[in-house]
Amino acid sequence: MLVDKVQEVFNEPGCATNQDKSAKERKKGCTKSLKPGAAAGGCAFDGAKIALQPIADAAHLVHGPIACEGNSWDNRGSKSSHSQLYRTGFTTDLSELDVIHGAEKKLFKAIKEIVLKYDPPAVFVYQTCVPALIGDDIEAVCKFAADKLGKPIIPVNAPGFVGSKNLGNKLGGETLLDHVIGTREPEYTTPYDINIIGEYNLAGEFWQVKPLLDKMGVRILSMISGDGKYNEVASAHRAKVNMLVCSQALVNVARKMEERYGIPYFEGSFYGVSDMSDTLRNIAKLLVGRGAPNDLIARTETIITEEEARAWRRLAPYKDRLTGKRVLLFTGGVKSWSMVTALEGAGLEIIGTSVKKSTKEDKERLKKIKGEEFHMWEDLKPRDIAAMLRDAKADIMLSGGRSQFIALKAKVPWLDVNQERHVAFAGYEGIVALVEEIDKTLSNPIWRQVRLPAPWDAPAPALGETAAE
Amino acid sequence: MPQNPEKVIDHLQLFREPEYKEIFASKRANFEFGHPDEEVARVAEWTKSEEYKEKNFSREALTINPTKACQPLGAVFAAQGFEGTLPFVHGSQGCVAYYRSHLTRHFKEPNSAVSSSMTEDAAVFGGLNNMIDGLANTYSLYQPKMIAVLTTCMAEVIGDDLQGFIVNAKNKDSIPQDFPAPHAHTPAFVGSHVTGYDNMVKGILNYFWDAPDAAARVEDDGINIIPGFDGYAVGNNRELKRIFGLFGINATIISDVSDVFDTPTDGKFRLYDGGTTIDQVKAAKNAKATISLQEYCSPQTLSYIKDKGQDVTKLNYPVGVAATDEFLVKLAELTGKPVPAELTLERGRLVDAIADSHTHIHGKRFAIFGDPDTTYGLSRFLLEMGAEPVHILSTSGSKKWEKQVQKLLDSSPFGASGKAYGGKDLWHLRSLLFTDPVDYMIGNSYGKYLERDTKIPLIRLTYPIFDRHHHHRYPTWGYQGGLNVLVRILDKILDDMDNHTNIAGETDYSFDLIR
Repeated sequence: MLVDKVQEVFNEPGCATNQDKSAKERKKGCTKSLKPGAAAGGCAFDGAKIALQPIADAAHLVHGPIACEGNSWDNRGSKSSHSQLYRTGFTTDLSELDVIHGAEKKLFKAIKEIVLKYDPPAVFVYQTCVPALIGDDIEAVCKFAADKLGKPIIPVNAPGFVGSKNLGNKLGGETLLDHVIGTREPEYTTPYDINIIGEYNLAGEFWQVKPLLDKMGVRILSMISGDGKYNEVASAHRAKVNMLVCSQALVNVARKMEERYGIPYFEGSFYGVSDMSDTLRNIAKLLVGRGAPNDLIARTETIITEEEARAWRRLAPYKDRLTGKRVLLFTGGVKSWSMVTALEGAGLEIIGTSVKKSTKEDKERLKKIKGEEFHMWEDLKPRDIAAMLRDAKADIMLSGGRSQFIALKAKVPWLDVNQERHVAFAGYEGIVALVEEIDKTLSNPIWRQVRLPAPWDAPAPALGETAAE
Repeated sequence: MPQNPEKVIDHLQLFREPEYKEIFASKRANFEFGHPDEEVARVAEWTKSEEYKEKNFSREALTINPTKACQPLGAVFAAQGFEGTLPFVHGSQGCVAYYRSHLTRHFKEPNSAVSSSMTEDAAVFGGLNNMIDGLANTYSLYQPKMIAVLTTCMAEVIGDDLQGFIVNAKNKDSIPQDFPAPHAHTPAFVGSHVTGYDNMVKGILNYFWDAPDAAARVEDDGINIIPGFDGYAVGNNRELKRIFGLFGINATIISDVSDVFDTPTDGKFRLYDGGTTIDQVKAAKNAKATISLQEYCSPQTLSYIKDKGQDVTKLNYPVGVAATDEFLVKLAELTGKPVPAELTLERGRLVDAIADSHTHIHGKRFAIFGDPDTTYGLSRFLLEMGAEPVHILSTSGSKKWEKQVQKLLDSSPFGASGKAYGGKDLWHLRSLLFTDPVDYMIGNSYGKYLERDTKIPLIRLTYPIFDRHHHHRYPTWGYQGGLNVLVRILDKILDDMDNHTNIAGETDYSFDLIR
C-alpha cells in the first residue's frame, strides 16, 4: 500500500534529521507539511519523475490528464550520452470520459503502443492525482502488461497529493529498489565497480567528472539516474561501492542497498576543489576496503595533486577581481556547503546560505566551516528574500530558477546554479567554470544600470549647489 | 529529362538534378579549363590570411561592396516624409528608378518619385527645358502639395542651377508662383544617402523659413525632432509619437515617412500619406528647440537651425537604456514636464529583460556595419549589455565618426578590442572577419554573403533589409525599441546554439528545450 510506503520512507534511518526526532514526530513525516496559500515547490509526482526520468533509454509514461506531462515534458537539462527516448513525452492524456469510466484499459493500450513502437528496455508508468483518485490500479495494470508484453513495466506510485517533491524523489528511489535494482546481472564485474546515486548529469556536468574516474580505473556500473541506462540500473546491486551525491533525494536507495547487498556508501560532492578531491579519495578508499588492489590509492593521489594544482592555477587570475565580493547562496541541499569552500578559495566572501533543503548534517558541516555567526535561512518568502538581499548588501546571489528572478527585482545580480542552469559546474573543470560565470555576471555592465535609478528619479542636487552657481 | 511539363520545377531544384550536374561537370572539365580545384582552394584560403588583409587594406582606388547609398536616395526618403510631397529628381530617370526600387524592396511599399528625364541633348544644352516640362507634368499628373526638387550627378556635373531653373519654370507657368518647390543639390559623388537626407531637410526648412513673406521667428514652446535616415522609420516614428503622447507634448517630427511607407490595403491607392504638413514646417521655425536623433544625418540642418536661434541637440540613434534616457531627459528638460511613469516602467522592463538574458550576450564579440549613427547607437547598446563590439565599419563614416566611436569604446572595458573603420567597405570587413573573427555580425541584407563566407551569423538590424520582411514596422528606439533589438540579437544567438546542436542522433544531448 502507498500509505505504508510513504510511512517507510519517512522512517528513513539513513537520514540524520529523522534520527533526532521522537517516534511521534517521525510518524508525521520528514517533509514539512505544506502550508495552504503559501507558494510551494513541486509535488511528489514531479519529484519521482525528476529522480527517474534521467534513465534515458526507458520510456516514461505519465498516466494522467495533460497537465502532469504537459508541464514536466523535457523540462530539465539532465543529459544523456546515449538514448534520447526519455525526452519524448508519453502520456495517457486522460479525458472526462476516462475519469467516469476509469482508464486502466487505456493505460494498458498506451503501454502496449509504446512497447510496439519504441521497444524500450522498460516502461516507467507514473501515477498522478486523477487516476489515483478514481482508483485506477496502476500496479495491477503494470503487472498485467509486464506479463503480456514480456518487458519490465514499472509502476511509479507517487501521485502528487501524497506530498512534496522531496518525498517524490524518495518514492522514485523506492520504485527502483522494489522493481529494478537486482533484476539483472551485469555481463562482467570488476573490483572497481561503483554506482553513482543522486547525480542527474545536469548540463552534462558528470561528463567533467567521468574522465577522472576513468583515469583512476574506476568503472561506473550504473548511474542513478543521470545519463542512466535501464539495464545498468537493474544490475546496480553488483557494485562494490555506492557514492551518494544529493544527500536528501535518494538516501533511501543507498541505505537499503547497503542493507540488502552489503554495498557500503558514502556521501560526496563534485562541487568545489577540496570536495572533489575528498570524493575521489573516498571512492578509492572504499574500493580498496572491498578488495581492490592497493595501488588505487596512490594513483588517485597523483591525479588529485595534478588536478588540484591545475584548478588553482586556473582560478588564480580571478582572485584579484573577486576578492571581497559578497555572495549569498540560495541553493538547496548539498550544494550549500560544498560550494562554500570552493567559492572562498576564489576570494569570494560567503555571507549566508539557505538551508531549506539541507539536512541537519549539511547544516552541521556549514557551522563547522563557517562558524556560528554565519547566516542560515530556513524558509523565506519571496518578499523576505528580497529584503534580505538588500540588507545583506550582497554583490551576487547564486540561486535556482525560482528565486533568481526575485534577486533581479531586488537589483542583485544572480547566477543560476540549479537544475535549469546551462553551464556545468561539477568537477575541477566545473569550479573554474563557476568562478568564470560569477566573474562574468559581476562585471556585466547591466548590473550597474539595474542598481542606478532612472536619471530623472535620481536625487536632485542639493540646494546649496544650485545657489552657488 | 529533368523537366516535365506536367510539373515544371524551379531553379531551387532544377539545377540539382543529375542531368544538369553532369552537364556542369562536363562543361567544367572539357571547356572551361579553369585552375585546378586545389589552386582555387589555395587562393581562397589565402584571401583569408593576414597577408591578404594587408593588401586589401592598402587598396586605393577600388571600393568593393560599399555599405552606403547615394545622396539622392536619402533626399528622396527625406522628401517623402512631408505631406503630399513628390520628390522631383532633376537628372536621369534611371537613377530615380534605383531609389524607388531600393526603398520599395526594404519597406515592401510602393513609393513615388519623378524625374526630369534628362537625355543627351539636355546634358549638352542644360536641363532647363526638362525642368520646365517636368514640373508642369508633375503638377498636373500627380497633384502634389509640394514638389521637392533634387539632383542626380548628371545635372550636377553640367552645373544646372536649380534655384534659377525653378524660378524660370514658375515664370513659364509650369507651376504656380506660390507653389512650394524647395530644392537641394544632391550629387552622389559627394557624401552618401545620409548627406542627401541632411541637404533635403535643410532645403525644405530653408524654403519656408527664409521665404520673402515668411514671418519673423517668435519663439514658442515647440520641439522639433529630426529622425534622420532610418530603415526602421515606420516603427520608430510611431514610437516617437507614442512617447510624445505619454509626455503630453506636441513635438513635430520633421520628415515623417511612417504613413507613406506603411499604407493599408483597403482598396485605395495612396500616392501620398501622412507626413509633416507645410503648416507644421512653417511653425517649426518658432520652436524653442530641435533634437536630431542622428547627428550624421543632420549637420547642415542643425547648424542652420541653430543660426535661427534654436537650442539644438544631436543624438546618435538612441538604442538601449542609457541612450533612451538621454533622449527622454532632454525632452523633459526642454518641456519642463516629468518623464511619464509609463516610460519609467518600460525602462525597468527593458533593464529587467537585459538582466534576464545578459549571460547569453556577455562577452560575445560583434562586427557591426551600416550608417554612422546606427553603428554608433548599436555599439553603445552592445557595450551596455556586456557584449564586445570589435569591428565597427561604416563606408559613410568620417574621421570624426571614427574618433567618436573610439571614445565610446574607450568608455567601457568591453570596448577594449574594438576599432572603428570609417570609409571602409564590406570586402575590408571580410578580411577583418577572417583574421580577427567575431561571434556575430550586425548589418544589413548584404551581410548574408559575408555570413555564407565566414559562417558568422548575421543579425539584420541596419538598412537595407531586402531579404526579410516587416522588420521596419517594429521600433528600435525607446525602451520598447531596445527590447526589439535585444530580442533580435538573442534570437540569433539562441538559433545559433540550436543550429550547432541539431544533428539528430549525434548532438541530441545538447539540443535543449530550455535555453
